[in-house]
Amino acid sequence: MTGHRPPGFIVCRKYLPVLLLLAIGLITKAQEIQLTVIGNVTGVPSEMKSSELISVLKGEKQRWSDGTKVNIYIMKTTTPVGQNTCKKIYNWSGDKVKRYWLELSFSGKADAPTFCNTIEELEFNVSQNPGAIGIVNRSSASAGVKTILIDGKNPF
Amino acid sequence: MIKKRKIIIFFATFLSCVCFSFKSFSQKTQIRGFMDLSTSLEDNKVSFGFGEQDLFITSELSDRFSFLGESVFKFTPSTPTTFSVSIERVIVKYNFAGNHNLLIGKHHTPINYWNDTYHHGRVFFPTIFRPLMFEYDIIPLHTTGVSLQGQNLGEAKFGYDLMIGNGLGSQDVLDNDKRKSVTAAVHIKPAEGLRIGFSWYNDVMSAGSKTHEGKLINWDVRQNLFSPSIAYFGDKVEVLAESTIGTNHTDTTGTKQTFTGYIYAGYKIKERIVPYVRFDRLHFQEGEILFDKNNTTSIVGGIRYNINYLTVVKLEYQYEQTELEGDTNKLTFQIAIGF
Repeated sequence: MTGHRPPGFIVCRKYLPVLLLLAIGLITKAQEIQLTVIGNVTGVPSEMKSSELISVLKGEKQRWSDGTKVNIYIMKTTTPVGQNTCKKIYNWSGDKVKRYWLELSFSGKADAPTFCNTIEELEFNVSQNPGAIGIVNRSSASAGVKTILIDGKNPF
Repeated sequence: MIKKRKIIIFFATFLSCVCFSFKSFSQKTQIRGFMDLSTSLEDNKVSFGFGEQDLFITSELSDRFSFLGESVFKFTPSTPTTFSVSIERVIVKYNFAGNHNLLIGKHHTPINYWNDTYHHGRVFFPTIFRPLMFEYDIIPLHTTGVSLQGQNLGEAKFGYDLMIGNGLGSQDVLDNDKRKSVTAAVHIKPAEGLRIGFSWYNDVMSAGSKTHEGKLINWDVRQNLFSPSIAYFGDKVEVLAESTIGTNHTDTTGTKQTFTGYIYAGYKIKERIVPYVRFDRLHFQEGEILFDKNNTTSIVGGIRYNINYLTVVKLEYQYEQTELEGDTNKLTFQIAIGF
């Protein structure tokens, strides 16, 4: 019966797995979200290197250069922005990020970040707390919030 | 009179700093718990049990002040109810500059990586049981006192702890003598997942005081503990090697040395599955007066499965050879959780 099928059909069937993989790849690529770093107008610098950002988001810096306390706000690891934050910034899974923070706060070495449910909640928290830094997927127009350039780029 | 005025000025400045740091601050408090359940097979007998239930509280009191408390509910056969509550940590932290802090309260003595990182949180332990140096109380697990702490300083992420506290034989609320214990610890984190540290602990245990296990000591014992440590927890490989070389000196027995150390190695065969091994060694010099001389070797082999970041199961085999009790073999299954 196969012999009666048009050649185009056979070619399609032969390359079907490759096409499927390409489609999955495209879908996965589409799920990658551009991230934007925002900060409170007090304390947080307007520009940072990516290595500095990672260090801050790993709780290695307790105060900004003007003495304001560093407060970290990230989206819950179950949200698309939270998943992308874990992958792009920490280079870890969501579970590993949560475990890292649990271990760190349990040892008394750092205060755990606040995990937010919505972008609006995160932006509000950043706008209300001096020294607050957060990761979102858009520029913020909220009062008291500024966008931080990472390696001269935004979003990154 | 001038001295008095200086004291008043100092306290006035301190209080104004405290008040200023409390200004317009919303308190953030977190309560967490940890516990574990286990099943073991030893001497052809299966036993079920559970470990400590750990209540852990952190609270940001102000921009610069924070609190950490850890209380444990545990099985204690010597009490009427066979259970007891103990306060494992009570720390008020004051962040006075950058990554430098002043801490006061009951701490985990920052003597090595394990004690500083895991302690009662079984869900974090890479193995089911603690290394021998903990089980046999070679190192002082807790110190009540005051400490200076710095973290992640410079390119090498240098860290330090300098602690002065109630010494050996004292209580959490009262020292038994005028002498204070001193702990000085330094570490660097030169690469992702790597931490290299060294600490020194010094104290004098006064004649007439009792050890943690209730053993009466009839002579002044001057103790020094030197503890090097290396920890690497990478994406695939995990290595943790720590040792303590202790010297206990009395005028009658002279100086006796104790060595304790362990090496742990694990390899992630999948993201959540880690087979591991650990080798422990405890060696006491003849004539040791403070510790109970019981040279011990232990080999542990097991597998850890991280169901998620709050639930970990482990299956572990332990062979232990002790000078006093001979050989033991034990197979243990544990589920450790955080909540």
